[in-house]
Amino acid sequence: MSVENLKAYIESGVLELYVLGDLSPQEALQVQEIAIKHQEVREELAAIESAMEKFAMQNAIQPSASVETKLFEKLGISLDEQTEPVLIPSLPQETKIVQLEPNDGKIKTLRYALVACVALLVISTAALFITYSKLTDAHDQIASLNLDKQKFAGIVSKLEYSNQGLSNLVEMNDSKEWATIKMQGQAISPQSKMNVYWNKKNKSVLINYLAMDLPKADAQHEYQLWAMVNGKPVSLGVFGKTDSTSKEALLKMQTIQEAQAFAVTLEPMGGSVNPTMEKLTVMGGV
Amino acid sequence: MTALKKSTLTEPELVLALQSKDSTVLKTLYSMYSPALYGVISRIITHTELAEDVLQETFVKIWQSAEYYDNTKGRLFTWMMNIARNLSIDKLRSKDFKNSLKNQDIENNVSFVDEQNKVTFNPDVLGIKQLVENLKPDLQAVLDLVYYKGFTHVEAAEKLDLPLGTVKTRIRLAIIELRRNFN
Repeated sequence: MSVENLKAYIESGVLELYVLGDLSPQEALQVQEIAIKHQEVREELAAIESAMEKFAMQNAIQPSASVETKLFEKLGISLDEQTEPVLIPSLPQETKIVQLEPNDGKIKTLRYALVACVALLVISTAALFITYSKLTDAHDQIASLNLDKQKFAGIVSKLEYSNQGLSNLVEMNDSKEWATIKMQGQAISPQSKMNVYWNKKNKSVLINYLAMDLPKADAQHEYQLWAMVNGKPVSLGVFGKTDSTSKEALLKMQTIQEAQAFAVTLEPMGGSVNPTMEKLTVMGGV
Repeated sequence: MTALKKSTLTEPELVLALQSKDSTVLKTLYSMYSPALYGVISRIITHTELAEDVLQETFVKIWQSAEYYDNTKGRLFTWMMNIARNLSIDKLRSKDFKNSLKNQDIENNVSFVDEQNKVTFNPDVLGIKQLVENLKPDLQAVLDLVYYKGFTHVEAAEKLDLPLGTVKTRIRLAIIELRRNFN
């Protein structure tokens, strides 16, 4: 290529287009071939490139930092590693997102139910306490009623006892068969008195706890009834304390065919063979 | 120009490292040239998000096709700039870009339009802009189309209704003007 032709070639603007990448591959190849041969073309190209590069440098705009991050992520290059390229296996961390079931309404309902349950529990507890205190009152009342009942039952049994004794007395007084021997208090107990009922037909002897007034005997002693037969005392048996809780007001003693008098002495438990005369409590003749 | 100071690597060293797939050099390359390339891209694509997408695509392509770079055909920056320009022009003509224009909601339109007309207050750029604007109007027109709008010189000739030769000459004169200012 002649010098004139070369100058015309340079001035045609084809080198600028080459640098701007605005040539077809064939045209570009031609530029390269000529550039290899001609120093002037190479220099011209270098000058154009340099100008374009400086132009670009001075028109530089800093892109946002995220571009760099995304770029190296995409290429799998770690930004921190300065010496070795570490290939990050580009496995996207798939965090499993579990969709909450749309059961807000259900939760709301359950919440209301819970509140209702708590309220019910409170009411129930209160009711339970009221009922419990009422029950305690009722128990107390039952206990006191029981006491009353026992008291009345005692009274009733005492009354029955008295009534029985009294009716027996009345019967025996009316009957001609029974003789009533009234025994009077002796030296050790002048206030004492007691009746003995002696059947003239079958000779049986009865005493009535209601028809006696004797001093209270202690635990080691009891009273013994004697019949005086021709001046000799005959034991008719022992009997308990005057305040005996025995149901029977009447107590049947041993029978005696004949007797002139009856007497009661205080004897050791079980009775004695002969009466202790110092302890003669009551005595009465037939 | 500050970006250049960040690395002491010469261009042949950069190329060698890049072609041997040394990932650290890609970081160096990114910090050195991403603002310049982003400047080129955002002249063509004014929409920030799309321009950033193209910048990313540009570096992906630089990384993946480094082996095809031939230093006898031109400087590394020229090669990278042309990748950026070509990807920008592709994006500009893609369905993707057209859709992004169409799909703007009415309420988003205002901000989108603002984005489109965003003024970047880069003092360096302001100076150069002034320089380019001081070009004769006929030179300004072709440089605008070819450099800023991503037109080929053939398209620019059609657009300006000028002979192809005239367009080529005017591009050359405009670049000579730039060279004069830098040298």
